[in-house]
Amino acid sequence: MSSPPTEANQTPDSPSVIRGRNMNFWFGTGELRKQILYDISIDVAAGEIVLLTGPSGSGKTTLLSLLGGLRHLMDGELVVLSHCMHRASADELVLVRREIGFIFQQHNLLEFLTARQNVELMLQLQPAVSADERRRRAESVLTDVGLADRLDYHPAKLSGGQKQRVAVARALVGGPRLILADEPTAALDSQSGRDVANLLQRLARTNGCPVLMVTHDSRILDIADRVIEMEDGRISAA
Amino acid sequence: MKLAVASAGVVVAVMLMLVQLGIREGAMDGSVSFVRKIQSDLCLISPRTKTIFQSTALPRRLLYRLLADPDVERVQELYLGQARWRNPWTYQEWPISIYGLDPEHCLVDLKGYAGYSSLLHQRDRAVFDQLSRDTYGPVVETVARNGFMETEVNRRLVRVVGSIRGGVSITTDGNLYLTPENFLRVLPERNPGGIDVGLIKLKPGADPQTVRDRLAPLLGGEAIIMSRQELVDAEVRFVREVTPIDFIFGMGAMVGFFIGFVVVYQILYTEVTNHLPQFATLKAMGFTNRYLLQVVISQAFMLSILGYFPGFFLAIWLYGVAERAIQMEFSMTVARALLVFGFTLLMCGLSGAIAVRKAQSADPADVF
Repeated sequence: MSSPPTEANQTPDSPSVIRGRNMNFWFGTGELRKQILYDISIDVAAGEIVLLTGPSGSGKTTLLSLLGGLRHLMDGELVVLSHCMHRASADELVLVRREIGFIFQQHNLLEFLTARQNVELMLQLQPAVSADERRRRAESVLTDVGLADRLDYHPAKLSGGQKQRVAVARALVGGPRLILADEPTAALDSQSGRDVANLLQRLARTNGCPVLMVTHDSRILDIADRVIEMEDGRISAA
Repeated sequence: MKLAVASAGVVVAVMLMLVQLGIREGAMDGSVSFVRKIQSDLCLISPRTKTIFQSTALPRRLLYRLLADPDVERVQELYLGQARWRNPWTYQEWPISIYGLDPEHCLVDLKGYAGYSSLLHQRDRAVFDQLSRDTYGPVVETVARNGFMETEVNRRLVRVVGSIRGGVSITTDGNLYLTPENFLRVLPERNPGGIDVGLIKLKPGADPQTVRDRLAPLLGGEAIIMSRQELVDAEVRFVREVTPIDFIFGMGAMVGFFIGFVVVYQILYTEVTNHLPQFATLKAMGFTNRYLLQVVISQAFMLSILGYFPGFFLAIWLYGVAERAIQMEFSMTVARALLVFGFTLLMCGLSGAIAVRKAQSADPADVF
């Protein structure tokens, strides 16, 4: 049923970006308590692209939100980017989140801001970056994702693939040390999905930034260094 | 469009606050406008008097006795009373305030009153207040056309020989100015030896405070002496305490504040609810609750600025409407404009601060 811990796959000298041990998670309390994750252990090393697959309800997204500091870990041990996440305060979780680039299934762009402003918004979290620098970096990242000619478009004027690429640019602009993505290609046609996947792969390779991606999309499995399968809240194959 | 509807709520609140506070101040100013026109350095009233418009008389001889002081230049008596004016066009009688005051070297600043001096010293002559309400009939027009107009005041035939601009208030609808002699003819039951206010003019260079302190012990228990400003303050205090002006219009302004508060809160709450996924995204990306507060508060301030200016001009327009309707003067003051602007900011800021709690409750984990 449950597979051996993933650490078996790691070379000992590879620095872990994520290191989780025996994590359990449940929703609700008392009689309504429903356990979602059972005894999960996971490691992600720098520069790795790891895909997380499995049927609906297997707990992939919950695991991703735990790793991203969006939920509090209840039981077990988890270190993300050298922050100890177990019993971390809400403020500490915010600090961890600032070092992570998130890409969501829905792009969640602010519709009243242009593509460039959406990307620049992320850099407001770094007060040391001047307005000119923000603009320059946003433009350069948007150029990287192939949107140099769409800088001042509002999201409503962009196609689904273009919006998702803006979301990728937004996740990347702050220079994250880890990228967490939740089905970034699910809402896209095969060509746009391919583009986004290739983009992530290229960026992971050039920046050495690890990518952990939840996906159902078998079309993009080829970019992965490693695939972790989940079922019923347990890791079934890694 | 949504913005227009949103700021409309603020417009109504701003307008309500400005109009209510404006009427409050206008009513207050109207009630003490006559007292403010008094030009004498010192005034004498009875210790029983709370307001000179419902005064207890004080002995006239006390006023004339003050002439013995070397710093007193001259004194003047002022009689105040109520009479019934018959509107000769409708034959109805209306109460009217009457003032017994010598137009020569008059110690009350009534523009044009001195010009009627020779006419007023004849028997049963009076000057009418142009700002009196319409219920007294077209007096001003008739006087302008015929040179005079006759009617009954307290069943006595009186000839109006002219009109001046005084001003009415919530306590008086019309004014009639006459000499003390004619005043006593209209009110024959009044004792000529009992005046309502004694006006005292000092010689140039005399200090009113020093003279006041010197004269006060000489008056005994039948009169008190005070400076012009003290009399004005006492009248303002009386209007504050006895009439419900402050309460009624203060409450009206407060209602405006709460209407604005609720409207702005509803708008912001809806806005926040509609954008909850975006707020959650911002939080997931590492933005703090503080940042969300800034976003919502700046939206609230934008609403207050957008709503304030239309509300301001609407209020000025309504002041004009009210002035024509009830013939009382309302004017916008810088202090009131600033006060209401401050209240508008407070109103929007407060509702923003409450609405933002919804945004802060956005769970960043919901975006996955």
